[in-house]
Amino acid sequence: MTKILVVAESALRELLRRRSVLLILLLLPLAFYLSRRGDHLGQSIRFVCLGLGWALSTAALFAGSAARGMEPRLRLSGYRSLHLVLGRLLALWTVGALLSAPYFVLILVDQHDVRYGAIALIMVLTVAVATPFGLLLSAALPRELEGTLVLLTIVGLQMVMDPADTATRALPFWFSREIGTYAIDHTDGGYLTRGLTQGLAFAVALTVLVVVAAAVRLRQRRHLRFA
Amino acid sequence: MNHNAWLAALTGELRRHGVGPDLTGHVVAEAATHLRESGEPPLRVFGPPDVYAQAVADSLGGPDQRPPHRQPGPVRLAAQGISKRYRGRTVLDRVDLTVRAGEIAAVVGANGAGKSTFLRICAGMLSPDAGTVRVHGTLGYCPQAGGTAEFLDPDEHFVLVGAGRGLDRAAARRAGRAGAAVLDWSPPAGTQARHLSGGTRQKLNLVLAQLGEPDVLLLDEPYQGFDRGTYLDFWHEVWRWRDAGKAIVVVTHLLNQLDRVDIVLDLTAAREPRA
Repeated sequence: MTKILVVAESALRELLRRRSVLLILLLLPLAFYLSRRGDHLGQSIRFVCLGLGWALSTAALFAGSAARGMEPRLRLSGYRSLHLVLGRLLALWTVGALLSAPYFVLILVDQHDVRYGAIALIMVLTVAVATPFGLLLSAALPRELEGTLVLLTIVGLQMVMDPADTATRALPFWFSREIGTYAIDHTDGGYLTRGLTQGLAFAVALTVLVVVAAAVRLRQRRHLRFA
Repeated sequence: MNHNAWLAALTGELRRHGVGPDLTGHVVAEAATHLRESGEPPLRVFGPPDVYAQAVADSLGGPDQRPPHRQPGPVRLAAQGISKRYRGRTVLDRVDLTVRAGEIAAVVGANGAGKSTFLRICAGMLSPDAGTVRVHGTLGYCPQAGGTAEFLDPDEHFVLVGAGRGLDRAAARRAGRAGAAVLDWSPPAGTQARHLSGGTRQKLNLVLAQLGEPDVLLLDEPYQGFDRGTYLDFWHEVWRWRDAGKAIVVVTHLLNQLDRVDIVLDLTAAREPRA
């Protein structure tokens, strides 16, 4: 547990010291929110949640890429790959909570007649999905530019595609639109159930994939034996 | 310069001039006694530390030329039949290397001869096409570049790497700072690695590699960017590690230290190490 906490602390320090990046991450969801606030209050909630997902995925992508140079040394120093992944996830979950909290307060103050509990659930799921999603991209695409472009494509598709289209369920933030409809338009509980199921499934699947990818990348090679 | 600072500087300079630890302790103790009793400033009595250390070394007839360590211990690293090809070109062809506790092996060769590849294979960061590596004990690795976190300061690096070795925060910081002091470096608190010079970052890299006292040290040209004094400090530290029973593999292209190592693995000409 100590090793996980030390990795989390170090990762958090690294993230919090990128002040300009943090500022951009903080303002990006606000830009999404304000873009639709004038004409459609409910839509601005959906957009701010997607903005949070984009910002957090990007933060995770860059954190994962920055850690690649250090991780082999940490493995040799006695860490398991699980320590490294869980520590980094813990740091990113913390950043996600810190990033989401002001937007939840903004919605509380600025929006009325919406289901606040459901909006909080969207934010929790967004943090749970976006962090392993960004880390997985950094594992699959070691160059940050490629990862950023893939993120841009996925979040862009998420925004423009009709959520009723079955294909959109394969996108990681579909739950956000679905639970958003439940929260904003007061639809039946089916939207909540479908969104929750998809969000949880993605959060679990992506986390497992990140753990497996790290275990493979940082595995002890077969030619090396410690006596 | 006060007494303590002058004596500390003298200690470092004597080591750089190849004066052994016992004699260094004796010379420094004598100088300290003289300064205490006379009450005079050290620069007036002895002059600059480097000049005085040079005079002491000259009076001894040159640097300490102790014979290499004669009684190596058990095998710590055994690489056998390591082969690696890149894009159809054979980089390593059935390379063998055995290093025992208390031995230094130098891996030499021309650019592209596969020195770093060999070390990465020994560290388990790269798979060979054929061959095995057996390590008896724990492993420390110093890469040629990278290996540090841009936004963390040196103390935070010590804590992070030290936790993996089972050291608590205070012990990790102490061990890191002690390792840094040997390289004549006092890590500035709060200065992130990205703000350190290339040579200082390599000092950090080297200190991290030996944190927790691993049994086998793999050092990939760790002295890049070191000034001459630090370079000498580095080799003295390597010899001290050898005397402490560590097995050390150093990738190097600077051949003037090869008479002070126990094994030379030349990847350019021969594939077999010569003792």
